[in-house]
Amino acid sequence: MALLNRSDWYDIARDTNWTPKYVTEEELFPKEMSDCFDVPREKWETYDEPYKTSYREYVKVQREKDAGAYSVKAALGRMKFLDSADPGWKSILKLHYGGIALQEYAAGMAEATMARFGRAPGMRNMATFGLLDETRHGQIQLYFPHEYVSKDRQFDWAHKAMHSNDWAAIATRHAFADIMSGRDATSVALMLTFAFETAFTNMQFLGLAADAAEVGDVTFSNLISSIQTDEARHAQIGTPALKILIENGHKEKAQKLVDIAFWRNWRLFAVVTGPSMDYYTPLAKREKSFKEFMVEWIVGQFERNILDIGLDVPWYWDTFLEDLNTTHHGMHLGVWYWRPTVWWDPAAGASPDERDWLEEKYPGWNDTYGKCWDVIIDNIKNGREDLTLPETLPIVCNMNHLPIVGVPGKKWDVRDHYLDYKGRRYHFGSKVDRWVFEQDPDRYAGHQGLIDRFLAGKIQPANLEGALKYMGLQPEDCGKDAHDYAWVWNYNKPDKVAV
Amino acid sequence: MSETAQKLKPLKTWSHLSKNRRRPSEYEIVSVGLHFSTNDPDCAWEQDAGTFMNQWYRDYREGSPVNHEDWDTFRDPDELVYRTYNIIQDGQENYVDGLIKEFDDLEHDQGLQTEWVDALSKLYTPGRYILHGLQMASVYLAKMAPASTITNCATFQAADSLRWLSHIAYRTKQLSLVWPDYGFVDNEKHIWENAPHWQGFRELLEKALIAYDWCETFVAINLVLKPAFDEACLRQLGHAARRFDDSFLGFLTDAQAVDSQRSRRWTSSLVQFLQQNEANQDVLDGWVEKWVPLGDQAIDMFCAALPDSPSAADDAKRDCWSFRAGLGLSA
Ligand SMILES: [Fe+2]
Ligand SMILES: [Fe+2]
Repeated sequence: MALLNRSDWYDIARDTNWTPKYVTEEELFPKEMSDCFDVPREKWETYDEPYKTSYREYVKVQREKDAGAYSVKAALGRMKFLDSADPGWKSILKLHYGGIALQEYAAGMAEATMARFGRAPGMRNMATFGLLDETRHGQIQLYFPHEYVSKDRQFDWAHKAMHSNDWAAIATRHAFADIMSGRDATSVALMLTFAFETAFTNMQFLGLAADAAEVGDVTFSNLISSIQTDEARHAQIGTPALKILIENGHKEKAQKLVDIAFWRNWRLFAVVTGPSMDYYTPLAKREKSFKEFMVEWIVGQFERNILDIGLDVPWYWDTFLEDLNTTHHGMHLGVWYWRPTVWWDPAAGASPDERDWLEEKYPGWNDTYGKCWDVIIDNIKNGREDLTLPETLPIVCNMNHLPIVGVPGKKWDVRDHYLDYKGRRYHFGSKVDRWVFEQDPDRYAGHQGLIDRFLAGKIQPANLEGALKYMGLQPEDCGKDAHDYAWVWNYNKPDKVAV
Repeated sequence: MSETAQKLKPLKTWSHLSKNRRRPSEYEIVSVGLHFSTNDPDCAWEQDAGTFMNQWYRDYREGSPVNHEDWDTFRDPDELVYRTYNIIQDGQENYVDGLIKEFDDLEHDQGLQTEWVDALSKLYTPGRYILHGLQMASVYLAKMAPASTITNCATFQAADSLRWLSHIAYRTKQLSLVWPDYGFVDNEKHIWENAPHWQGFRELLEKALIAYDWCETFVAINLVLKPAFDEACLRQLGHAARRFDDSFLGFLTDAQAVDSQRSRRWTSSLVQFLQQNEANQDVLDGWVEKWVPLGDQAIDMFCAALPDSPSAADDAKRDCWSFRAGLGLSA
C-alpha cells in the first residue's frame, strides 16, 4: 500500500454511470435538459476532460487564489485608487460589474445543468467545480464593488443591473439565456464553455486585465486574471463533448450551435468590451486596440481551436472580420448618445489625440464615425447639449436587443434586416442575427424587446422619462458624459495639430 | 434628469439590503438576491416564455405547491460563502490527508480481517454511486431553488458529495492494491445494481432524482435520503468498522459527518423558514409521508447486510425519525 497520485484513482471517481431500474433513462435524463443530440450513453462514456483536478486540489488551490485576490484588495486601500481613477476607468468598472457579476452566478446555474443532466460523469464532476467557480465569480465581483456604493450610486448596479429592465440588461440576459440558461447540458457545453469561455472570456478577463495593470488598478487586474484561471479550467468541458458529437455524425448541428453562440457573444462584446478598450480606457494606458485584442484572442486562438477540433469557422466569418472595424464604434456612439439610459458614465473618447489613435487603429474612422462626433462637438461648443441627448428610444434588434447601427458617412449602410414570422415583423441588426432567429424561431418569437414593450403600452408615460423609470434608473443613476465634456474644449487649442 | 428631482441619500450597502437598517455582513453582500430568473414568474429566462426551459421553471419552481412571501429572506445559519467554504474544507482535507498518511504508515489495510475486507467491497466502496447521485440531486436543487441563499447551501452540499465520492475512489484503489481478489475497482457497479442491500437506496435515489419539484427534491434528499445514508452508511457502517478494527474508516465517516451536520443545520433552517407559511406544513408532511417509507426500506435493506450489527437498522431509523420529528414533521 502506498499513497496515491490523482491519476491512480481519478477514473474510479468518474466511473459513476449506472443503468436506472426504478425510473427510466428518459425520465432521469430528459432529452431537452440533457442532450438535444440524443447521443447514446455508451458513446458519452468515452468523454475525457482534458483539465483534471480533484476536490482536494480544488479547495486548496482556490483557497490560495482567494487569499491572493482579497489580500491585494486589502493591502492597496482600494478607495484611494478609485478617488484618483480616471472617470472613464470608473465607467469600465461599473459596466463590468453590472453586466457580469450576476451573470457569472447564473453561469453557475448552467454549470449545474451540466452537473446534473450531462451524460458523462467526467462532465458532471467538472461542471460541479464549474458551479463552484461561478459562485466564486458572482460573489467576489459583488464583494469588490460593494465598498464603492457609498461614494457612487452607480455602483449599486453591480447587484441591481441584472434585476432591471435596462436595455443593456435585457440584451445581456437575452444573449446568456440563449447560450446557457435556456439550453440543455450538451448545448451548454458547446455554447457556454467552448464558444464563450474559450474565446471571449479571454478578451474581458485577460485583455481588460492588461489595460487595468496599465492604469494602475492592480486590484482589478489581479481579480479578473484570477477569475480567468478558473475559466481556463472549466472552459475545457466543451472540447471533449464536441469531439463526441462530431464522431457520432453531429458535426453540422454542433457547428450551428457554436456559430449561434459565437455571434451572440460577439455582438455583446462589441457593446461591452469594445467601448471599454477603445474609448473608456485612458489613451495613454491602452495596451492594444479592441480589434487587436480580438485578432489575437479570437481570430488567432479561437480560429485554431475550431479548426483543430474538426469544425469550420462560422459561415459568416468574413462578415465578422469586417465588423471588427465597425460595429463597436457604432455601438459606442449609440451608448454615448443614449447615456441617460445606462448605469455608467460613457467616456466619449473623442478628443483630438484620441481621434488620432482611432484613425491609426481604424483607418477611415474620421471620415465615418468622426463625422458624427464633429456634430456632437459643435453642439456642445454652441451650448446645445440638448441636441446631443435623446428624446426617444433607439430601434433595437430583435435578436441582440442592441441599437441597430451602421457605418455613418458617405457609405451610410444602416439597413433593417427584417423577417415576418407568424404575423409579426421582427427587426434585426444584421443578416446573421436574422439567421440566428430562423434556426429556431420559437425560441425567440414570443419575446418582447424594449421597443415592443413600449409599443404595447407597458412603458408609461410613453416617453423617455417613462422609459428611464421602467429601466429602474433614478436621476443619480443615469449616465452622463464621463468627463463632463472637458474633452470638447481641447478642440479650441489651435496648436493641437503641431503636437 | 430633471433638476428638480430629489437628491437621493448616499447608500451604505446595496439598495436591496438598505431596508435592513444595519451593516450587512460579507455573507449578505455576496449571497442575497442573486437569482434574477425569479423576477418574472412566467418567464424565468429572457426568451420566448414557451421554451422548454421556461416551462420547466414554471412547472418545478414557480409551480411548486410551497410558497413564501419573500424567498430571499432565507439565511444559511452557517453564513458560508465560497471563500470560507474553501478555507474550512481545505482544513478538513488536511485532516483527511493526515489520516491517510498515518494509516498508510501503519500498513493498516494489510492488517484487515478478510471478513471485513469482503464487507468493505460490498458496503463501502459501491457507495460512490449513491454519493454521485447525491451530488447530482444537490446541484439540481441548487439550479432550481427560488433563492440564491438556498442555492448556495445546495451547491456546497453537492461539493461535499463529490468530496466523499473522491475519498471512496481513493480508498477503493488502495484496497485493490492490497486485496486484489475482492473485486475492488471493477465490481462496485455490479454490486450497486444487483446486491439486495443497495436496492433500497438505489430505488430511493433514482426516484428522488426525478422528483423535479424543487422543494420535493429538497424533502426527498435532505430530509430522507441524506439522513438515511448518514445514519446507515456512515454512522452504522462506522460502528461496524470499529468492531472489525478498521478505525480508519471510523475516522473517515466521522469526518464526513461534519459535513452532514452542516447540511442538517441549513436543512432545519429551511424547514422552519417554510413553516412560516402555515399552508406549507401539509405539503411538507405529504412529501415526508411519501418518501419516508422508501428511506426506511433503504435503511433496513442496507443494515441487514452489516456484519455483526443487529440493532443498526432500528438505530438508524430512530435517528432519522428524531431529526424530522424535531422539526415538527410527521414522520
Ligand atoms: Fe465565470
Ligand atoms: Fe465560466
